[in-house]
Amino acid sequence: MFPVWEVPNIGSGWVIGLIAVLHVFISHFAIGGGAFLAFTEQLAYKKNDDRIYDYLKKHSKFFLLLTTVLGAMSGVGIWWAIGLASPNGTQTLLQNFSLFWAVEYIFFALELATFLAYYYTWDKLDRKTHLKLAWIYIGISYFTLFAINGILTFMLNSGGWDFTKGNIGDAFFNPSFWPALGLRMFIMMALAGIYAFFTLSREKTMDLDVKAYLLKYSAKWLLPAVILGPLFVIAYLFTLPEPTQQVIINGLSTIGVGNFSIMAKAIFMTMVFAVGLFGMVLAGPYLNPRAFNTSFAVMLLAAGFGFMFTEEWSREMMRKPYVVYNYMYSNGLRKFEVDKVNKEGFFNHHKFAGAELTTLKPNDELGKGQLMFRYQCTSCHTAKGNGYRSMKVMLATRDKDAIKNLLTMMKENHIVDNKGVAKTMYHGYMPPVVGHQDEIDALATYLATLNSDPAKTTTAKVESSNS
Amino acid sequence: MSIPTLKNLNIVQTVVDWLDERVPLKAAVEFAGHKEVPVHKHSIWYYMGGIAALFMGIQFATGFLLMFHYVPTFEGAYASVQAINMQVPFGWLIRSMHSWGANVFILVLFIHMFSTYFMKAYRAPREFTWLSGLGLVGIAMVFGFTGYMLPMDEIAYFATKVGVDVAGESPFIGPYLAEFVRGGSEIGQVTMNRFFSLHVIALPLAMMGLFGLHATLIQLQGISEPESIQKLPKAERKYEKFFPDFFKKDVFVWFAVFVAFMLVVTMKPWGLGPQVDPAAMAPIGIKPEWYFLSQFQALKLFPAKILFFDGVHVAMVFIGTVFGSLAVVPILDSTGKIPFISKFATVYGVIFFIGWLFLTIWGSL
Repeated sequence: MFPVWEVPNIGSGWVIGLIAVLHVFISHFAIGGGAFLAFTEQLAYKKNDDRIYDYLKKHSKFFLLLTTVLGAMSGVGIWWAIGLASPNGTQTLLQNFSLFWAVEYIFFALELATFLAYYYTWDKLDRKTHLKLAWIYIGISYFTLFAINGILTFMLNSGGWDFTKGNIGDAFFNPSFWPALGLRMFIMMALAGIYAFFTLSREKTMDLDVKAYLLKYSAKWLLPAVILGPLFVIAYLFTLPEPTQQVIINGLSTIGVGNFSIMAKAIFMTMVFAVGLFGMVLAGPYLNPRAFNTSFAVMLLAAGFGFMFTEEWSREMMRKPYVVYNYMYSNGLRKFEVDKVNKEGFFNHHKFAGAELTTLKPNDELGKGQLMFRYQCTSCHTAKGNGYRSMKVMLATRDKDAIKNLLTMMKENHIVDNKGVAKTMYHGYMPPVVGHQDEIDALATYLATLNSDPAKTTTAKVESSNS
Repeated sequence: MSIPTLKNLNIVQTVVDWLDERVPLKAAVEFAGHKEVPVHKHSIWYYMGGIAALFMGIQFATGFLLMFHYVPTFEGAYASVQAINMQVPFGWLIRSMHSWGANVFILVLFIHMFSTYFMKAYRAPREFTWLSGLGLVGIAMVFGFTGYMLPMDEIAYFATKVGVDVAGESPFIGPYLAEFVRGGSEIGQVTMNRFFSLHVIALPLAMMGLFGLHATLIQLQGISEPESIQKLPKAERKYEKFFPDFFKKDVFVWFAVFVAFMLVVTMKPWGLGPQVDPAAMAPIGIKPEWYFLSQFQALKLFPAKILFFDGVHVAMVFIGTVFGSLAVVPILDSTGKIPFISKFATVYGVIFFIGWLFLTIWGSL
């Protein structure tokens, strides 16, 4: 177990989320955009059109700067953020997939090297060799996706691997692997088209006929996502673990009757963005390429980012309450440790939390409760104000006894009977609260102060120090 | 006549030709193509009319769907809206779209109105286009006022009560107006009947009629250009056909705006307050919707007595005059040939806009 990283208002999860979505938005372009360069360069040769060739040179400069600077920086940023926000989850992924990570890094280095070679050899290599570099780049960059996809899908579906024995290949090539791979490939192609709209919109001197032709051509890069994307989404959803499917079905079915979970909102907005993007591309670069300008291109980029944001958000929400499905909860607690922690007590089990407890005054109920909150809740909740999933807002008018009852019930969140019926309604949504009853009571004491007035808080402090 | 074979049969063309024989499709497209849209650095404002039309469509469509489940009675309205929010599949979505849509519609109309004013698009021969547009803004605001009451939650009831009471303070006609709107001395079932019939019959008809006039005038007279563009030599001015060129851009922007709109509708679904108890005291600090805040705030600034007159009467006349001036000032400047009046209209518009914005923000605090 590790110390926690507390981020006020937005929570640590959102720090990862924001960096990760930016990274995904660029890294998917790094792969799809590579394919775009290769196919379009081939097109330039086939049509023997230097104007397309000249455009590609400029486009590849944009590609180079965006993917190797912002893309690489945000990639490193993800590692920093996940290391701080979810050290246990990061440790698990590193330990289980050391070989895959190593291979991924090698291919990432090769990807960079190949693209640098590609970019700096425009007009220096013969056409055939230069194009070969582009095909090599596609192969290498696609393999980085291949490696990451196995690890990402594993976090939602471990493929029956039990983390101790068996074949790691079962975890990597888990049932979600192929649908997710296909889906990401279509998204990458779509993003390649969307980014090309942007660079084409910046072309002020390009022949208008060529520009219109390339805009229409780029619009066609969204077609696989439009036609095959929905089929792969359905296939992907069928490969998810049954409880996750149930959570999705519950979330989507309650959209209709207003009980709208955050996950359902994210999925719904993903669909809205997809339809919106399709309409915008159809009305804009495809049907009206001659009037297309940078403002429209920026709107398309924003809509593309919105799509990626809600799609990745949905994927993350599907994983709840786990960070690694059925193995580790989002707060770093391993599923198999629950009974042990309940028996030993949270502060006895968790070294860092236990060490921090010794810095508090004896019987500091509030301080102890706050520590429980920091270590067990802050990966998904903020405490005060109107922050992300703020406990102040969510607990609203509940008093201490009501909170205590809720927490005591949530101690059994992980329990499912022989018929598969969960013991609590929070099963599948939240990790169990763990610890001795006095530790859970301390958490209730702390949470009750979030909505009480300062006078009551003072009373609680006095009471706790007197007891 | 040659028999079409599969090879030379163009299905789309055949269908279009068949339709064109019965409905003058090609003539309609040609008519739509007559209008040209100027292309210049202020062209962005030309999208506002289309966006407003989009939201008008959203309001009509979602309003129509809401009527499937809404019960327009004093006792039943709240429960029916609650059911729409919680039980009717996708009812919350339609209601959230309708409630958010009303606000966005009025906001876009304001932007359209101010941009048109500052581009001096009201000048001859477009005076009636301006006046019909102004009428549409007025109708949209009455739409908002009548619709606000319909859920019959606490805030809806008391905000309506305050609104009608304020209208009742207008000199001479105020008491009669308030009595007429309420259908009695208190807000009740008769008030609801009147608000509902206004909201779903009279106002939609008025809006469609006025919108038809507004759109036809624009089609016939074309889109106006700002003075700075008019001064350019003809060779330097650029135009594009409204149909299909600008229309495609309009559709693109509609999709973009719709996605942004759905983001708000989904992430912040429109709620429902507690059920009203007409016998209870009005909640403290009750305010009207944002588009009435400037008038509401202005009203509060007037003292109880001004010379021999009631302050509130003076305030109502003042507010009425200021808003009425939006119809008068452009008419004075309709020729654009009197530099003093032209400059006055611009300065007046700036003062009006800043004052309106300031009072709206102040009123919301």
